[in-house]
Amino acid sequence: MQRAWEKFDIVIVAVTLVLLGMGLVMVHSASSVISAQKFHDPYFYAKRQLLWAGLGLGSMFTLANIDYHRLRRYAPHIAVLSFLFLAVVLIPGVGQIRGGSRAWLGIGTFGIQPSEFAKLGLILFLSHYLADARGRMHSLLRGFLPPLLLALIAVGLIMLEPDLGQSVVIMGTTVILLFAAGARVAHLAGLAGLGLLGFAGLVAAAPYRINRILAFLDPWQDPLGNGYQVIQSLYALGSGGLVGLGLGNSHQKYLYLPEPQTDFVFAILGEELGFLGCAAALSLFAVLVWRGFRTAMFAPDDFGALLASGITGMIAVQVLINVGVVTGSIPATGITLPFISFGGSSLTLMLTGVGILLNISRQSAYRVA
Amino acid sequence: MRVTRGIMRRRFVLLMLGLITAIAALIARLAYIQAVQSPWLTQRAYDLWRRDIPLEGKRGSILDRNGKVLTYTATAPTVIAVPRQVRDKDAAAAKLASVLGMPVQKVRDLLGRNQLLVYLAPGDRRITEAQAEAVRALGIPGVYISEKGKRVYPFGTLAAQVLGITGTDNQGITGIEKQYDSVLEGERGSITLFAQANGERMPDTGEQYVPASDGQDVQLTLDVGIQQFVEREIEQAVAEYTPDRATAIVEDPKTGEILAMANYPSFDPSHWQDFPPNTYNQNLAIWQTFEPGSTFKVVTLSAALQEGKVNLNDRFYDPGYYEVAGHRIKCWKAGGHGSESFLNVVENSCNPGFIALGERLGKETLFSYIRKFGFGSKTGIDLPGEGNGILFKLNQVGPLELATTAFGQGVSVTPIQQVMAVGAVANGGLLMQPHVVKAIVDHETGEVVKTVDPTVVRRVISTQTAAQVRQALESVVARGSGTNAYVDGYRVAGKTGTAQVAKNGRYEPGHYIVSFIGMAPADDPKLVAYIAIDNPHPQDRPVFGGQIAAPIVGRILADSLAYLGVPKSAQGLPKKPRWNDTPMVEVPNFVGMTLDQAKRAALASGAQLSTEVQGKGPYVIWQSPQAGQKVPDGSTVRLYLGNVKPPG
Repeated sequence: MQRAWEKFDIVIVAVTLVLLGMGLVMVHSASSVISAQKFHDPYFYAKRQLLWAGLGLGSMFTLANIDYHRLRRYAPHIAVLSFLFLAVVLIPGVGQIRGGSRAWLGIGTFGIQPSEFAKLGLILFLSHYLADARGRMHSLLRGFLPPLLLALIAVGLIMLEPDLGQSVVIMGTTVILLFAAGARVAHLAGLAGLGLLGFAGLVAAAPYRINRILAFLDPWQDPLGNGYQVIQSLYALGSGGLVGLGLGNSHQKYLYLPEPQTDFVFAILGEELGFLGCAAALSLFAVLVWRGFRTAMFAPDDFGALLASGITGMIAVQVLINVGVVTGSIPATGITLPFISFGGSSLTLMLTGVGILLNISRQSAYRVA
Repeated sequence: MRVTRGIMRRRFVLLMLGLITAIAALIARLAYIQAVQSPWLTQRAYDLWRRDIPLEGKRGSILDRNGKVLTYTATAPTVIAVPRQVRDKDAAAAKLASVLGMPVQKVRDLLGRNQLLVYLAPGDRRITEAQAEAVRALGIPGVYISEKGKRVYPFGTLAAQVLGITGTDNQGITGIEKQYDSVLEGERGSITLFAQANGERMPDTGEQYVPASDGQDVQLTLDVGIQQFVEREIEQAVAEYTPDRATAIVEDPKTGEILAMANYPSFDPSHWQDFPPNTYNQNLAIWQTFEPGSTFKVVTLSAALQEGKVNLNDRFYDPGYYEVAGHRIKCWKAGGHGSESFLNVVENSCNPGFIALGERLGKETLFSYIRKFGFGSKTGIDLPGEGNGILFKLNQVGPLELATTAFGQGVSVTPIQQVMAVGAVANGGLLMQPHVVKAIVDHETGEVVKTVDPTVVRRVISTQTAAQVRQALESVVARGSGTNAYVDGYRVAGKTGTAQVAKNGRYEPGHYIVSFIGMAPADDPKLVAYIAIDNPHPQDRPVFGGQIAAPIVGRILADSLAYLGVPKSAQGLPKKPRWNDTPMVEVPNFVGMTLDQAKRAALASGAQLSTEVQGKGPYVIWQSPQAGQKVPDGSTVRLYLGNVKPPG
């Protein structure tokens, strides 16, 4: 069955490598002050990120060379394992709490986030499931609900950590997959309606939540509380202006902006490289989205097509949420910026995902002139 | 229905377009933040990062008209530390303590404080330039040298209420210090640093040094010499009469310059915090309003002469009252002044005479002159906190109000308004705007930066009328109620005033404000001087302006004119020796007389003295008051009787 594989989608490779490079530079620049402060080593985070990048690239090129169909065989096993880890991390004493969430497994400063692996595991399994469900997708009970329930179980486990960001990404990716797989628009609209109802219920139960959620609209109402991070982020972006203060010249990284190397690294990028840097990075992500769905379109089978759109969708959702939060456009939700934010699990998993994407692209059913 | 590959492809395209559109929206949002909002956000971000260490400019001095320094700022270096920026606090504390002569532990404590800035000062003592240089030489990061100033008053409390006070941040709070704050204060400088969120200095950011610039000097029109005479007189009056308040002003009528201005109670500007707030918040000379009493008759007289309503030689008969709208308004002199000329009316300060002048003028004309003389509105003096005074509204003025206004009751005026009004009479009819600042002077070079020129508000009366009024007022001093202001050789013209003080709509019994306003020399006045004493308690005299206030103004004018080198003249009216103004009588000697003789003598003295008898016996052996003392008309003399006729 083996056809001659195409070359890598060189655009995906190039875009990924450029983003990864930007990320390494920015993580170093953004974290140097906080690293020196916490660990007396300005390269603390940069060194680790470099290590993860190496690991991630290894994983990426490995998977680029493994036929993705072989992954399908293990999709159920991987899904079961993912759920197991999501449950295990909740056990006190086993899972480590960082930043208020019991989300890490591991020793010392090296830790893995089961939720990161679960995202990819879920995409793999749902693609596997939905690829076989083309005849049932019009059915609510047999087509639409089973994959949704599976995703909701994952979200439920993750919300016990709790980690709102990952939950939102999983829901977003699941909806993208369902839509890609041909789910009925009425079902998706119903899901959206239920989501709104649930949200309204939560707000009705505790009206103060609406203030916290809407705080992003005017962060200056609570500049030292809910609005603090967004304000500091906007200061970084705003003082960067069009061309930025220059690489390494951020002021906000001097302990004003919390977590400058992870969820808010894009703000430091905007401060040092300006609007031009921000627009360049986002344009690269847009190119990646284009190449990702192009891969899906030309994939040799439905599983490959769904897998490619799921991975691309996950990347896009994370970019939208992360940059949306950093620019104060949506309520605060913690999630990493793919390839750029510091974080071992996130980076290796993203690169692994790109590896899978590359393999699908190599097996394109059609040549494009 | 089976999902076809075609449906899936269409959905891939939709997803791709949707997600790319969302990314494009974020790029647009970033463009808005980083281009449109950027200046505003950058400003706020800089405010967040920067830490300003204030550098004070040296506040300008305040000088008198001859350049004598009334107050100046003495500066001394101060050591400022930013605790978060001092890394090795123990070593820094040890070094600084030895240079500054402070206990090491104290310096260490200060450096450990969780504050942006701490001042390192050895107690209240100032540090020397040498110490400051030594601190600078230590080169400890986070330690800076600044200057701190303190107001010094070489003349102590002199002119305190004109000068005003400054606060701890060197800002003017009252008086000239407030009015000319922007001139005096100079411009604040700063050392601007960039700090991290934890207060430590941001690396690789320089410091911006904006030097402070010194303020300019303000030269006043006050003359230290005359101010000292005035304050001496107020002090004496306070010692003698224990009044509630007192105010004095000396003006140069030709320019509107204030040469002296003082009040009681006052305060010491170098530690004003120890005094009641009203002493440093209020300058009575421009703030207090009260009924002027007879000094206001100058306005009525000027108006009547200017309008040709009276000739000073015209006769007037004063039966002791004047009937207005069915009310009898009494003259202050029981029984009245009888037949007199209008010049006598002025000399005697005869109320019925002035009511007649008021009626001849009519309310429109009289009130238009009152306003023209500057009453009812601020004079515009260059001091904060001036009062307006209160006049009747024209439509509320009936015959009674017109009558009382004509002799100075029912209006409320400030001392400075009276001085400026009489100043207009003194200078030939021009109402001037008063001012206490003569010039702005460069602190370093002494060069005059700006001068304040005399400002004419308006012409009120003609030169001829002004001269006539001055003649009449000279006559008041030489022959009338102001005789106690007479100064031999300096032709003093002036007017007394005794006003009752209304409280809760009624006149308070026994509470008077006595005043005198005078000018000299009468033919060409160089000075106008005014004093008002609120609620004096004299030991042995009745409460009348002529008795208490007139001699003070006489002394102020005499001393000031001599000080200014104005030659004496023999042209003036001679003083007419009499007790005309006040109904004072000399107590005759009753001792040695029999009781009947004494009673007869008491009546025969022309004074209406009543007698009261103590003890028994045919002869008067003692009397109180003693013979030769002056007592008000109608006083009681106590006669002590005994059996033995005392010798002599």
